[in-house]
Amino acid sequence: MTETATTPLVVAPGETKPGFAGTNVPRKEDKRLVQGEGVFFDDMKRHGMGYVHFVRSPYAHAKIVSIDVSKALELGGVYGTLTGEEVAILTDPFFELSVKPGADIKDYALAVHRVRHVGEPVAAVVASSRELARDAAELVEVEYEPLPVLTTGQDALRNDTILHEDAGSNVVWQGVFDWGDYEGAVAEADHVVKIERLHFDRFSSTPLECSGVLCEYNRGTGQWTLYGNHQMPGVGAIWMAPALRTGIDKLRFVSQDIGGAFGNKICLHPQYVACCLLARKLNRPVQWTEWRTDQHTANAHGNERTFLDVEVPVTKDGRMLGLKVRAIDDCGAFPRYEPLGCIIWAQVTPGCYRWRNIRVDFTQVCTNKSPVSPNRGYSRMQHLWLTERVIDLVASELELDPVEVRKRNYVRADEMPYETPNGCVYDSGDYARCLDIALDLIGYDELEAKRRDAESRGKLLGFGIGSTLDSGTNNFGQSTLLNPELQFSGNNEVATVKLDIFGEIVVTLGTVPQGQGHETTASQVVADILGVTPDDVTVRAGHDSYWNSHAGFSGTYASQFAVTGLGAVKGATDKLAHEIKRVAAGVFGATPDDIELADGQARLAANAEAAIPFMGIGAIVNANNAILPEDVRDVTLNCRYVYVPPFQLPDKERKFGNLTLTYATQIHTCLVEIDPDTGVYDIVDYAAVDDCGTRIHPQIVEGQVHGATAQALGAATHEIFAYDEEGNLLTPNFYDYHVPHALDMPPLKNGYLESPSPFTPLGAKGMGEGGGAGIHAVCAALQDALASRGKPTVWRSCNPYHQVWEYLREPTRLVEVTTP
Amino acid sequence: MKVEGTRTFAAPRETVWGVLNSPESMAKLMPGVESFDVQDDKHWRANVKIPLGMGGLRMSFDFTKLEERQPEFAKLHAKGNGVGAIVSMETAFNLAENGSSTDMKWEADVKIAGPVGSMGQRVLQPIVNQQVNNVLTALDKQVQEAAGGSAAEPETDSEVNGPTQSTES
Repeated sequence: MTETATTPLVVAPGETKPGFAGTNVPRKEDKRLVQGEGVFFDDMKRHGMGYVHFVRSPYAHAKIVSIDVSKALELGGVYGTLTGEEVAILTDPFFELSVKPGADIKDYALAVHRVRHVGEPVAAVVASSRELARDAAELVEVEYEPLPVLTTGQDALRNDTILHEDAGSNVVWQGVFDWGDYEGAVAEADHVVKIERLHFDRFSSTPLECSGVLCEYNRGTGQWTLYGNHQMPGVGAIWMAPALRTGIDKLRFVSQDIGGAFGNKICLHPQYVACCLLARKLNRPVQWTEWRTDQHTANAHGNERTFLDVEVPVTKDGRMLGLKVRAIDDCGAFPRYEPLGCIIWAQVTPGCYRWRNIRVDFTQVCTNKSPVSPNRGYSRMQHLWLTERVIDLVASELELDPVEVRKRNYVRADEMPYETPNGCVYDSGDYARCLDIALDLIGYDELEAKRRDAESRGKLLGFGIGSTLDSGTNNFGQSTLLNPELQFSGNNEVATVKLDIFGEIVVTLGTVPQGQGHETTASQVVADILGVTPDDVTVRAGHDSYWNSHAGFSGTYASQFAVTGLGAVKGATDKLAHEIKRVAAGVFGATPDDIELADGQARLAANAEAAIPFMGIGAIVNANNAILPEDVRDVTLNCRYVYVPPFQLPDKERKFGNLTLTYATQIHTCLVEIDPDTGVYDIVDYAAVDDCGTRIHPQIVEGQVHGATAQALGAATHEIFAYDEEGNLLTPNFYDYHVPHALDMPPLKNGYLESPSPFTPLGAKGMGEGGGAGIHAVCAALQDALASRGKPTVWRSCNPYHQVWEYLREPTRLVEVTTP
Repeated sequence: MKVEGTRTFAAPRETVWGVLNSPESMAKLMPGVESFDVQDDKHWRANVKIPLGMGGLRMSFDFTKLEERQPEFAKLHAKGNGVGAIVSMETAFNLAENGSSTDMKWEADVKIAGPVGSMGQRVLQPIVNQQVNNVLTALDKQVQEAAGGSAAEPETDSEVNGPTQSTES
């Protein structure tokens, strides 16, 4: 059960700020959500609409010999079908981000001639009810010719079987990243610790709401409206419009409430395009609501990554000098958002540490598994798990204290802002101090007594630390390090703030909230600037690309709302505040500097009684503007602002540059107790310390920490997408894929630190993806607990009880220490 | 999924061979057979109902005899289609004389695709084992009948191994 420390340990409270930012104002969204009045896409229905069901491949890899939809079409209530052959005529393949060979992969909305993973959509059936569509889909006869199956990245690398013949290779992208002087580090080292193999398992963060869309086509204007839960519609439109051979403005994305999206709602463009084609073909609205099993089987998983031949030159006192590794990333059957994961990890190249000499040989391959998408902690989580495993394995081999080794190697607070070996800039933070808080919270001083107590009960106690960074606000220029031809760089987000005729303050966001409380935090920022309360501020719920508050990178992803979203809100509100002051100054015959905004009024700072309520300002500009002086007639009280983070293009040759703007810190500690007879273990104590700079709404931050921690603990203990050798997913539902329930959660203690970012408008940092620390903390604790049982190498990220029992039964060691 | 085993029948090899290579006998061996059509010497079709879930799983199987060396070896391929499952199986047996009895060494490679396959070994293993045992028991009975003996107390000895499967990444 979750137990939150009632008084979080505040280390650096700083100056008390007046205003609403930094306080736990009631969340604006909660009233409608707790009353069941939220509007999710599946709540919306249209007259005469059809329900879409996808016919999915039962094979992991097969040729499609034939598809016969005739029996389905004969069924009463079936409106129509769509097959891959039609899709190949009506659309172009989605563009690929990679250079060759990945660039040559052809990816369509439905499988064309071949299926490449179990659950791949092969055809679609539309009928008058969801159940009828599902029944009719069973009548679609598909003849397959099975092909050899690839289920591991290493098998795929051999290219004995090729998934995408157009590409001629299973490799999507390959490159070597070499920063510093690795050989020099080896020469300086006392030891080189070698780790044969580590493996980050395949899992995905589970949203409450599955994916889907209600899609309408307007024949008169050639326009589609997609009421759905795509979390990154700006980028979704960039994929979809060229494929549909139309303009971006012909795709209107609308969402109000979304029941969670952790990156798995970024790559919905194939299903959305199929729905667009069906809505046009059948001349009726269609709705696709994903079934949970399909969400597990074929929506999007997190990247699976194998680390081979890891080498760590180190001094005898535990100073890490470098890191060398060969990484094989398995992105499943289609790259889609990939190969961006091949560079995203480089945002956190040295982890929390002062390593300067790093060489990573990175290869991404396709296999016959579900495609991946940027799962919460995207690509950094895998790499940070590696760095943390390395730290603990080195400490264990050299018999050093993992706490001391971390403190010796952490980037120090006085080194901030800190430039990493590949040119990223860690903006602020104090990792050692966060670790001290996390140690205090779990009573580290009494660790040995706890160990003895566990032993007296026949249990093995283990202690573990996870130190991770949540890099937020992408510089999309990093994509050019993978493909120099790509024309992406920087980032942007938009907001509009207006003062209406009756004095209402209305905010429109470009972001796509999925439960993060954007309406609440935006209202706090606006209220502080305009001198009103959050209750006086209406933030339009959800997202609509027709609101004109929408930029190329609009969306909610990559831990950035507190920077980009609120940066845009702040910019737009500052503009509005200035316009209000100009109007008031015009009326009073003063200058804008003479005006202050407070209590819902614009007034003379020197004489508070000379005040115009906002209602008056709104009325003058919107309905009585003939009285306005000439020099303020340009005022609209409807202000749009695009926040653009201060990024430069990275150096493509050196693969060097600032790839992301902020770095939130997560330091987690935990204690586990293992039953040595069975491998069953419990997490008996857990602490999560977070530093995301200035917190706009501390309770929302804590909620994010809780959620991310729960997902991490699921990934560490149970959640794994396991495939058999035929490519069948063995965990396609909640029966086999166990997501933690409230009762599975350990006692959870929270602490925090606030190290404001010097680079962001509000000192805040994005912080939604910081769960990876939990995965490592559990692995480290298991490693520690098993030290007396043959010291097996905890080499997988997911360690269910049976895996721990394997470690106990056969304590395989994959680590050796050499002396150069 | 690979399954293999051995079985000893108290009957001459020719008798066992005869039963195993007669489509009519085969039809009686298979559990849940609702209809059985012999297309030619090497191709048969069967509609079966496998006891899985409520109401059972109805599948149609196409059998093809791939190879035979009378009276000691035969290899068969079967492909089955049903709602939620596609089964592909390759099975072979070796018959060796053992005095007046016959030793049968058999193996089968069963591949199951579709949602049924996704349920994994936890569910499928007992079902496969149960079906194999049913087939072998029925086979015993047929052999005894063909040998003119009693099926009530067959002098047999059998062992089933597997299935084996790896899910390690």
